[in-house]
Amino acid sequence: MSESPYLLRERGREDHAALDRAWEDARTFAFVPAKSDVSDAWLDAALAALPADLRTAHFALLTSGSTGHPKLVVGSRERAEALARVLHEAQASEGVDETILTLPLSYCYAFVNQWLWARVTGRRLVVTRGFAEPEDLRRALDGATNAMLCLVAAQLALLTTHCGDAVFPGVTRVHFAGGPFPQAELTALAARFPNARVFNNYGCAEAMPRLTVRAAEDGEAASDVGRAIPGVELRVGDDGELGFRSPYGAVAFVEDGVLRRIGDGEWGPTGDHAEAQADGRFRLLGRANQVFKRYGEKIALGRLLDTAQSAWPGQATFYREKDRMNEDGFVLLLSPAPSDEDVRAILKAFRTHHPRTHWPLRVESAASLPVLPSGKTDLAALATLEGREVHWRNRI
Amino acid sequence: MSNHDKLKELLIDTFLLDESEYSLELLRENVDTWDSLGIVSMAVGVNETFGYHFTPEEATGVQSVADIIRILEANGISFDE
Repeated sequence: MSESPYLLRERGREDHAALDRAWEDARTFAFVPAKSDVSDAWLDAALAALPADLRTAHFALLTSGSTGHPKLVVGSRERAEALARVLHEAQASEGVDETILTLPLSYCYAFVNQWLWARVTGRRLVVTRGFAEPEDLRRALDGATNAMLCLVAAQLALLTTHCGDAVFPGVTRVHFAGGPFPQAELTALAARFPNARVFNNYGCAEAMPRLTVRAAEDGEAASDVGRAIPGVELRVGDDGELGFRSPYGAVAFVEDGVLRRIGDGEWGPTGDHAEAQADGRFRLLGRANQVFKRYGEKIALGRLLDTAQSAWPGQATFYREKDRMNEDGFVLLLSPAPSDEDVRAILKAFRTHHPRTHWPLRVESAASLPVLPSGKTDLAALATLEGREVHWRNRI
Repeated sequence: MSNHDKLKELLIDTFLLDESEYSLELLRENVDTWDSLGIVSMAVGVNETFGYHFTPEEATGVQSVADIIRILEANGISFDE
């Protein structure tokens, strides 16, 4: 008789003991956010789709990213623990004593880079509810001792809001994942975390999740994700999409009630377009839907984000829109509102580095950008975000 | 705002010029962003600002700021300010 996989919803601090027990239990479990628009019935059906060999010694996480299309990704505990050890080396974490949680633990990034890393290496997991309880987080940061912090770039604005100019010398590692790396904010990060090394982490849920790690000082552009971590292979396909093959990656996923196995040695898509550099590094050009033709010229929004952020230290993102001639275009959305000088500097950077076809249709701003529970920017909500202010528009 | 000032603001905005680059003597050949899409954008801007539709021949034939003023003045938009 086969084991029955079960569902574990993230509830809060008390659930971390439950998560430890689940990891030691033979049965496969799915660890999902306390609240999501995915029903228990959907999850139960997805777990019921697991074959006998995936009903033990595995775990499953829910991903929907910015597409809003739910997918249950199944990983091997043995592989995930191996990845946590590799990350420990790749991120030079031997001197790190603790990791402070600011993101939902059911998010693959926090789950592997923090909870599992702490478990595998015997480090302390400092549990906070992140910016849902900012005073609690502030206490953890003030009391940090050789601590690792895992953030998404969108949290930096919240950090400023809640912590002002506070300096946290006890934080010695700051990691970013889940979106464009905040290259433009490195000076501010160095002031806030004077003893920290900063890393750009890149991957996807199907990679469970890590593919590359780059120290901030080893690159100059947000799109530079560095080299593959040991064991991982990356390649850019003929269509420009970045593919990966990883000994740590997911072994299966369930989507629309259908199980899809990922074979050993199988190449999988990252969903990003990229360019391979001569030195083995990779530069992201954007999600597959962020690379498109405009008036016959290839537009890579990842590259254009580098341009915008070379002149703008705040948050920047894009959403797609057609122009008056029905050609695909995009709107640059900033947060917080830029000054007139900021807008001029951004536009000057576009003029300097790109032909007109690569310019945005508009430059807009919003007081804040919408975020998903994972802390990532909710790209699907940008085009309908209320309260946007237009600072410049292209008349095409 | 005078029509000269409106035109200056429009062209700086359309071609992303530095203010110091702009002059009545400015030539299209000296502006890298005054390309084919720039011509369309400039024509749309002229229509929005002055209510005048360039014909395709006028829009593509414009070689300078002075040309734009000449066409607009010929169509009843005064720059005698």
